[in-house]
Amino acid sequence: MNAWPFIAAAYGLTGAATAALVGWCWSAMRRAERAAEALRRR
Amino acid sequence: MHALANPARFLKIARPLTPILTLGGAGLATVGAWAGLTQTPADYLQGDSVRILYVHVPAAWLGMGGWMGLAIACLTQIVWRHPLAGIAARAIAVPGMVFAGLCLATGSIWGRPTWGTWWEWDGRMTSMLVLFFLYAGFIALARASDGQDGAAEGGGISRVTAIFGLVGAVNVPIINRSVVWWNSLHQGPSITLRGSSIAPEILWPLALTALGFTLLFAGIVLMRMRAILAGAKVEARMRRMAAA
Amino acid sequence: MKAKHQRLVLALVAVGAMSGSALLAMSALGDRAAYFQAPSDVARTGIEPGRAIRLGGMVDRGSISRGGDGVSIRFTVSDGGGRVPVRFTGITPDLFREGSGMVAEGRFGSDGVFVADTILAKHDERYMPPGMNTDVTSGSASPGTTTVAR
Repeated sequence: MNAWPFIAAAYGLTGAATAALVGWCWSAMRRAERAAEALRRR
Repeated sequence: MHALANPARFLKIARPLTPILTLGGAGLATVGAWAGLTQTPADYLQGDSVRILYVHVPAAWLGMGGWMGLAIACLTQIVWRHPLAGIAARAIAVPGMVFAGLCLATGSIWGRPTWGTWWEWDGRMTSMLVLFFLYAGFIALARASDGQDGAAEGGGISRVTAIFGLVGAVNVPIINRSVVWWNSLHQGPSITLRGSSIAPEILWPLALTALGFTLLFAGIVLMRMRAILAGAKVEARMRRMAAA
Repeated sequence: MKAKHQRLVLALVAVGAMSGSALLAMSALGDRAAYFQAPSDVARTGIEPGRAIRLGGMVDRGSISRGGDGVSIRFTVSDGGGRVPVRFTGITPDLFREGSGMVAEGRFGSDGVFVADTILAKHDERYMPPGMNTDVTSGSASPGTTTVAR
């Protein structure tokens, strides 16, 4: 059995899930900190 | 102990540390993955599928290590009522669940070409699936008990949630020992205190990906903690404005 | 005693009690949580023909013989404490080899031969490049004997 499709699937899934997690956490953090900052300035 | 208790002091350290950990971790993990795909020999028996090791093992380590961190944070919350402990526990839960899920998924993908099956209910796989559901339970419980008792204010978790996090830690050593206690389809531990049964030329990229994903995990936890702290600040201000 | 210390002691006692009861439960679960039974377990407990079980062990070197139809195979499985003849018709995983581990689902026939419905390959905890058939374990562990993890 050719292993490479399985390897590609495992690496692709890990990369995509990690990137999505980082992107989501980063944008959520930026949004929350910006909201806190805007409220503080008011 | 209470040097970091002050959220302002925590943020002063967390702000510069977040991009360092995230970018450094992502860089190390990428180099490790590249090395694991191109720079190592195939296994004598498994052939190239052994390369899945470099993403599967860090995911397993972070899924299990994540819960240990979460349990320590819960213990700190219960005993010392540290203001950041509940926030840390809540921040760990989401990436912990993602990595536990990645461990299950990459393990399944690895199992098909080697064992000849996507999934079997052996001790290791079943106990890892239980960990995944424990994360889901913790996240749901933390949300459900929001604002229900004093500890849940300011982005923390309720006492029931903290106790759940502590009790759930019992599962981690069971996952670890499952392949030793019971006959299982999953092989026994390769890396023990007595040494490694993985040849050095196959092992070394694992050190890079394991360290890389760990730093990345820490960066994600800091991002989540900052988001929770900022959210709690907004909520507190809104409440004060509504009262005024 | 300060309240903080009281909570610490209480939490530690609770953690200890939980770990203890979990350990007890796991040891009570014992072999029922086992994914398969080894030939020595079969020899010890005596499994009646027709009962569905999983049998796991090492495929004996030189034991695989292929039938005339090309998909039927016969081989023996052992674990150091017993040996079981197995019959199987179908496609085996790539890693199913002589001298390597396997797990078979099926049942014993009245002739004492295990008739497998499915066969899974089981590999051990050693990973090494081809041609390096030496023990890479840098300790006293002897992987050759622990291939079928007990």
